[in-house]
Amino acid sequence: MSPATAPHGFLSPTGVEIAFVLVGLVTFGAALVTVTTRQLVHAALWLVMALGGLAVEYLLLTAEFIAWVQVLIYVGSVVVLLLFGLMLTRAPIGRSPDADSGNRWAALVVAVAAAAALVWVVVDAFRATWIDLDGTAAGSAKVTGASLFQHWVLPFEALSVLLLAALVGAIALSRKAKADRAAADIPGARSDRPTEGAR
Amino acid sequence: MNDAVDVALRLLIVFVVFLTFPLIVGQTEHKVMAHMQGRLGPMYAGGFHGWAQLVADGVKFAQKEDVVPSGADRRIFQIAPAVALLPYLLILLAIPIGPGEGAVGQVLDAGVFFVLAVMGVGVLGSLMAGWASANKFSLLGGLRTAAQLLAYELPMLLTAASVAMAAGTVSLPGILHAFHWWWVPWQIVGAVVFFVSGLAELQRPPFDMPVADSEIIFGAYTEYTGLRFALFLLAEYAGIVVLCGLTTVLFLGGWHGPWGADGLGWVWTLLKTAVLAFVVIWLRVTYPRLREDQLQKFSWTLLVPLSLAQIALTGIVKVVIS
Amino acid sequence: MAPIPGSGLAKGLAVTLRTMTRKTVTEQYPDAQPELPPRTRGVIGLFEENCTVCMLCARECPDWCIYIDSHKETVPAAVPGGRERSRNVLDRFAIDFSLCMYCGICIEVCPFDALFWSPEFEYAETDIHELTHERDKLREWMWTVPAPPALDPGAEEPKELTAARKAAEKLAAAQAEPTREEEA
Repeated sequence: MSPATAPHGFLSPTGVEIAFVLVGLVTFGAALVTVTTRQLVHAALWLVMALGGLAVEYLLLTAEFIAWVQVLIYVGSVVVLLLFGLMLTRAPIGRSPDADSGNRWAALVVAVAAAAALVWVVVDAFRATWIDLDGTAAGSAKVTGASLFQHWVLPFEALSVLLLAALVGAIALSRKAKADRAAADIPGARSDRPTEGAR
Repeated sequence: MNDAVDVALRLLIVFVVFLTFPLIVGQTEHKVMAHMQGRLGPMYAGGFHGWAQLVADGVKFAQKEDVVPSGADRRIFQIAPAVALLPYLLILLAIPIGPGEGAVGQVLDAGVFFVLAVMGVGVLGSLMAGWASANKFSLLGGLRTAAQLLAYELPMLLTAASVAMAAGTVSLPGILHAFHWWWVPWQIVGAVVFFVSGLAELQRPPFDMPVADSEIIFGAYTEYTGLRFALFLLAEYAGIVVLCGLTTVLFLGGWHGPWGADGLGWVWTLLKTAVLAFVVIWLRVTYPRLREDQLQKFSWTLLVPLSLAQIALTGIVKVVIS
Repeated sequence: MAPIPGSGLAKGLAVTLRTMTRKTVTEQYPDAQPELPPRTRGVIGLFEENCTVCMLCARECPDWCIYIDSHKETVPAAVPGGRERSRNVLDRFAIDFSLCMYCGICIEVCPFDALFWSPEFEYAETDIHELTHERDKLREWMWTVPAPPALDPGAEEPKELTAARKAAEKLAAAQAEPTREEEA
C-alpha cells in the first residue's frame, strides 16, 4: 500500500469516503440486528447483509479480489448455517422464544472488548496511512497473490494445515462413529433376522 | 458527462440483453422441446409460429393475483424472487462478448471470482423462498437447493480455477486474451464438469430435484403466483444464458473463431452461447430426473475427482510448456 | 462386448435429435380438418325414410338415449274391396348425445339400415340440454356419411351382393324358362 502524498482532512470528505462511512453504518446495523433478532433465519439473512456490506467496503478500498472471495465463501457458509439452523432447531416463522441467551451482558462485554482491541490494533498499525484509490489498484488479484505467497506464505500454509486437520478430523470422527455402530450391530443382531449378523 | 452517458448506455444494453435473451432461450426451449417430442409447440401467439408465446405468458402472469400465504414470513417471501434474479443481472455485466473495452459491461479484475460468488447468491433466493413459504414442500425444495449448491459449487470453482491457472489471470477478458485453440481439448474435462455443475446449480433437468414437480409440487416456488413466480422462472432462464455465456468465455474461447475474430468476435460468442443453450434444452428433453442421493453421489464421487484431475493436468501442462 | 460407458446417454441424445428433424404428429385441428377413416364413430345419422319405428334401437340402447314418438296411420286399401293397412309414422326421433356412449348397438340392431355412423364430430354445444339432437339434425348428418371403405383384396363378397346376384340369377332363369317352352 502506497500512502498518498497529498494531505487529507476529515472536513472535506470525498464521495468514496462518504460511501465508505454509509456502507459501514449499514454493515454495523445489520450486524447488530443479526445478534439481537429473535428470528433465527432472519439472523442468518442479516448476517448475509453484514458480510455483503463488508465486501462493499473492501471494494471501496480497491481490494476487489478479497471482496469477491468474501462473497463467495460467506454466502456458502451462510447457506450451511441456514441448513443447520433449520435442521437443528424448529426455526419457526416468527420469533423463537428460546432464541435468547442469559449471557447477553457477558457477550456484550466480550464483543466490545474484542472490537476495542481490533480497532486499537488497526489504528495503531496504520494511523494516518491513506490508500491512493486513483492509482493502480492496491488490492488486485495480482498484488494480493504476490503478497500472500511472498510475505504471508507461512501463516497461509499454517491456516491450510489447520483446515486440512479439521477436514481429516471430521472424516475420522464420522468413520469412527460408523464403525462403532456397525460393531454394536453385529452382536446385537436380532434372532429373527439371522442373515443380518452373518453379512 | 461523457462517462455518465457511457455508463448509462452500457447498463441499458446489459439490461435489455437481460430481458430479451432469457425470453429467446425460453421460446427456443418451447419449440425445440416440442419438436424433440414430435409436437409443434406454441403456434398461435403473435401469429408466426407462436413467437410471442412468452410475451403472452408474461401478460398472464401480470394479471394474476399476488398471493402471500397467511403463515408465511411476508417480507422474506416477497424479496426472495429479487434475490434469485438480480445476481444474474450482475453477472451479465461482467461477461465479455467481444475483444476490446466496448464489448463488456464492466471489466473486473477478479471476474471469475465475481461471477461464481454472485451465482451462489442467487441460490440464496430459492432457500429464502423455501423457508418463508410456510409449506413443507417448499422447505424440502429449499433444503434440496442448498444441498445441491454445496455439492456443485466446489467442482465449478475447481474447474474455473483450472482455466484461471492456464491463463495466469482471473479476469474474464484476460482469460480470453490468453486463449489458444488447443485449450479446448486441454480443458475439455473441466468444461464438461463446469457445464454439468452449472446445470445442477441452476436446477435444470436432469438435476431439478429441488423443483421436482412429481415429488414436491414445485419445491421452493410452490406458494408463488403471478409476477413473483414469473421472476423465478426468468431467473432460471437468465441463469441458462449466464451459464452458457460463462462456459463459452472460460472454455470455448469466447470471441475467438476460425475467422473474423476482430470485427465479428461478438457473433462467435453469441453463436457458441446459443449452441450451449440448445444443449441445455436438449439435455432436459433427453434425460429423466436423477434421484436426490444420486445427485449428491454424482457430484462427490465423479465431478469433484474429475475437476481435481483437470487441475492436476493443467498444472502439469503449464509447467511443461513454460 | 461391454458397452462403452456413456453410450446409453449418447443414444438417448441421438433419439431426441432425430425426432426433432422428423415431421411432427401434431394435428392442426381448427386450421386443418383431420382426415378421419370412413368408419369413424363421430355421430349417428338417421336415414328416416328407412325407419319403420320398430323401436329396436331404442330398446337396445344401453343408456336409453334414443327417444322415439310415433302414431299409427291407416292406409286405404290398394284395391277395391281390400283390407285397410295400418302403418307407423315417425313423429320424433332424437338422440341425447350427452348420454350416448357411442357403442353403436343401435346401428347394429337396426334391421332396415336406418342408422349410420358419420365421422362428423363438430357438434359441441354450450348447454348440455342442447345435445339432444332431433330428427332433422340427424337426417342432415346422413349427408356426411361416407361410402363404406373398399373390402380387403380377396375378401368374401358382401352378403347384399350375394343375395342380389342370387335373386337376379333366379329371375334370369325364370325369364329364360318360358322362352324355352315356346321353342319346344
